Amino acid sequence: MTPPVRLTVGDAVVARIAAATAREVPGVVALRPDLAQTLLGLAGSLLGDRSAGDALSAAGASAAVQDGRAEIALTLVTTLGHNARDLSAAVQRAVAARVRAETGLDAVVRVTVADVLLDVPQAERESKQSPQVPPPGSR
Amino acid sequence: MEVGRTVPGGPAGETLGAAGPADERIEPLACGRDAADVWDHAVEGTLDAHERDCPHCRAAAADALGLDGVVHRMAAERPVPPPSVLDGVMQAVIDTVTAELRPQDLLALDSPAGPARLSRAAAARVLRHVVDGMDGMRARSCRIEPVGSGSGRTGTNGAAGDGAATNGGGADPFGVTVAITVTARFGVDLASVTARVRQMVVAAGEQALGVPVRSVDIAVVDLWDEP
Repeated sequence: MTPPVRLTVGDAVVARIAAATAREVPGVVALRPDLAQTLLGLAGSLLGDRSAGDALSAAGASAAVQDGRAEIALTLVTTLGHNARDLSAAVQRAVAARVRAETGLDAVVRVTVADVLLDVPQAERESKQSPQVPPPGSR
Repeated sequence: MEVGRTVPGGPAGETLGAAGPADERIEPLACGRDAADVWDHAVEGTLDAHERDCPHCRAAAADALGLDGVVHRMAAERPVPPPSVLDGVMQAVIDTVTAELRPQDLLALDSPAGPARLSRAAAARVLRHVVDGMDGMRARSCRIEPVGSGSGRTGTNGAAGDGAATNGGGADPFGVTVAITVTARFGVDLASVTARVRQMVVAAGEQALGVPVRSVDIAVVDLWDEP
């Protein structure tokens, strides 16, 4: 008889998965690290990163795992041309699905769109101009 | 450093590399002494008669003392980070602190997949950008307030779901009102152009941001003339 196995997934693991997944969502330009992560990144780049250079970056993501649930917070930057609300939903779905697939944890993903960059590539801007014609009946 | 010149075959370098107990003996100096011993004696000031006279040992001892001096001099120097590094660190810290988003700087987004928020400043920048793109119009300021936060305080400091219950707006936790000030080119028809501004702002709010704009206040604060 096999003994029961307890699998514990650390906060950092979830944060790294979340960050890596979010970065792949189209429309996400970058994740924005918080102050602590900025300082850590600076220290790493100045002193030479001794903490496993191949580790996935978790900058811009934080996670707390508790009772089989993961609370994830992501701060991201997008560009004009991606609807912030739809992008947030897309990121939330992608990250929650990936975290569930990789760790088995149910995840609540809190997304903050910190910035919308205005300098969109020309092609994207043109394709964006057309749908900007106001819908009829808008007040 | 100069080790390779005076100790043929570079055994002294390997001695340094061994760093510690002289358990592995390497090729001795031409006079038969071990270079590592001579180095140790030179640093400790306990050179014996042979080591003081023998040219090979004296060369090794001179190297040891020279290196010792350099090491001590460098150890005594207080390292100062180059200005570029200091500036980089300070700039990164300042950028992060100024970009720090507080709950009242955020608008709730109507995401079905969880709590989502948008920087109010970023949203205002997008709307200003849209107005700037219009012919004969320049945006100046743009203020976005959630509907139902009559006195300017927003209730969006929690999850969006909670926000729906606690927000003063009640039925409309995601709607916003936009107050924008613009300057217009002299000669444009203000009535029609502001109507277009309103339409553009509503459309941009919905399509670029995903924020339903419930009302738009437009104040034309100045006129400019094109030469």
